Amino acid sequence: MTTYADIPTQSVLAPIPAKKGKIFVKWITSTDHKTIGYLYLMTSFVWFLIGGILALALRSELARPGMQFLTYEQYNQIFTMHGTIMLLLFATPLFVGFANVIMPLQIGAADVAFPRLNMLSYWLYFFGGIMAFAGFITPGGAASFGWTVYVPLSNATYSPGIGADLWLVGLAISGVGTILGGVNFITTIFTMRAPGMTMFRMSIFSWNVLLTSILVLLAFPPLAAALLGLESDRLYGTHLFDPANGGAMLFQHLFWFFGHPEVYILALPFFGIATEILPVFSRKPIFGYKGLIAATIAIAALSVSVWAHHMFATGQVLLPFFSFMTFLIGVPTGVKFFNWIGTMWRGHVTFETPMLFVMGFLVTFLFGGLTGIILASPPLDFAVSASYFVVAHFHYVLFGTVVFAMFAGFYFWWPKMTGRMLNERLGKIHFWTLFIGFHLTFLIQHWLGIKGFPRRYADYLATDGFTFMNTVSTIGSFLLALSMIPFAINIWITRKSPLVGVDDPWGYGSSLEWATSCPPPRHNFLSMPRISSERPAFDLHHPHIKTEGH
Amino acid sequence: MKVNWQLFGGLAIFYLIVTVVYWQVGGEPVGIGGMLLAAGLAGMVAFYLWFTQKRIGVILPEDSTTAEISDGAGELGFYSPHSWWPLPVALGACAMGLGLIIGWWLVLIGLGALLVAVIGMVTEYEKPIAASSH
Repeated sequence: MTTYADIPTQSVLAPIPAKKGKIFVKWITSTDHKTIGYLYLMTSFVWFLIGGILALALRSELARPGMQFLTYEQYNQIFTMHGTIMLLLFATPLFVGFANVIMPLQIGAADVAFPRLNMLSYWLYFFGGIMAFAGFITPGGAASFGWTVYVPLSNATYSPGIGADLWLVGLAISGVGTILGGVNFITTIFTMRAPGMTMFRMSIFSWNVLLTSILVLLAFPPLAAALLGLESDRLYGTHLFDPANGGAMLFQHLFWFFGHPEVYILALPFFGIATEILPVFSRKPIFGYKGLIAATIAIAALSVSVWAHHMFATGQVLLPFFSFMTFLIGVPTGVKFFNWIGTMWRGHVTFETPMLFVMGFLVTFLFGGLTGIILASPPLDFAVSASYFVVAHFHYVLFGTVVFAMFAGFYFWWPKMTGRMLNERLGKIHFWTLFIGFHLTFLIQHWLGIKGFPRRYADYLATDGFTFMNTVSTIGSFLLALSMIPFAINIWITRKSPLVGVDDPWGYGSSLEWATSCPPPRHNFLSMPRISSERPAFDLHHPHIKTEGH
Repeated sequence: MKVNWQLFGGLAIFYLIVTVVYWQVGGEPVGIGGMLLAAGLAGMVAFYLWFTQKRIGVILPEDSTTAEISDGAGELGFYSPHSWWPLPVALGACAMGLGLIIGWWLVLIGLGALLVAVIGMVTEYEKPIAASSH
């Protein structure tokens, strides 16, 4: 029997700061990419909970016909803020959080390229988000024109009040933070990789962070332009988005020129998380590493050329062009599914909690992708446009990728971030309540949409025949909300559990973050293994198995 | 760094092709403008990366498939240990934004605070001229 024991598998742990009184100042003045990443993750999770509570308010109102809890105006404010929070204050910063914590570790960098700019991004997001939300405490209430902000509904005539102004300016400021974050990540990946970490040895997650950051640079400036232009219309009476001279369409074009890449800004990093987890729990290298990168590049390139498929129903866009491009983007997404399944194929697959959440991601996102193909066809889109079918579609796409992959990432990297494992049994309870709750809420909304229930309506008649399906959906949403309880208990009971004590608690980690201690020291690595393939940590811990290097 | 500028160059060419196709099939001006600007952004980054790579001229250790970790030995660069400045910069920016809505007086206060904070952040690690090496 061959043994190999002389390779050290644990790095020395960093000393833990003793004085608790200084921790607050240490956190708010930090320039450490990991601390800033944790701030991002925690803040975005708080927004996730707030957005979730708003969603429960919407579902409670819709459970039965008639208005029980809310006024029409309150309902409009709540769905607007639910969408805004979930997309721009939860999911986008969540990407920045994961990228901050994990990406420099994966490329073997000591920090990001611009540590203070990184903290500035966070503060812009933090205060911008609060500003957008602060509309709720103004007399006129928060913004109530939907997160898509279509003009003329959102102009000063139809949406007066300071809440809408706070929303526009707050999101513009938060958007500047996101752009700075994108610049930071691109520079870090291009200039701070460890020796031997060539571009084609980088982990898929880091590749996806790079491509997402490029999309951020392409998408967020048009958003800032649209928001600030609209604000100028509202405050100074300019006529940028005046419907009289085509401003309504101009705004929709600008908004969706941001809006569609934004969907991929939310999807790509979470595809990356799934791609990191699958090989570890399949005990196999990634199937088709370069194919996956090529598919991601193709998605990033194509996603900028499909924006107007959100505007089919306006009747003023080129249907064949955008329909064709949208069908085309399904191809690289299919390639990704092929690679993910190929990674598991004939592997020794085990279902620890992170893997379970990745399975949830694969199933849910596949559903959302398939309904996306349906919506890409203009005749079908006309039939279900602005109905609950669309609501179901984008919740499958976004919840499937962002939330399932977020929890997968939390369970997977928890030992790397805190040094402690989360409880497996509670993790599984968490997964199944979340999975069942989610599908109970949203699967039925497909039929609800086909039967004709329009999105953004606060009420319906008992004679419409929507009552039963709405009630089922509401029950599902409360089960979904309850699934946060096992997660909270899990964090609480494992807060003092024993440290994992090894660099790679899962045993088959591939990328470089598994070659440093849990949690990593201030500048990430005390020693670094030689990088000769795309699986440096695996090569270090399992030297008898040779990875075919590039 | 070849991959880097090729990535951005490829994107620029792709966006340019899409622009031409979109224009030819009768696309509206906003989309043509947007795609053209996207191509310009990608092309600009590609040019900068290509130009920098050409000027460096050597293969950096992070681009070499046979590099050892020791090839990157030496000073890693300067890392700010911690900094107060990002917080006032963000607060100044937010005060300015808020000022647009509630009144010009706050824009002026915000602008002043922002200028001070930006100067503070930029010069945080600058040495006084007398103490620097030149």
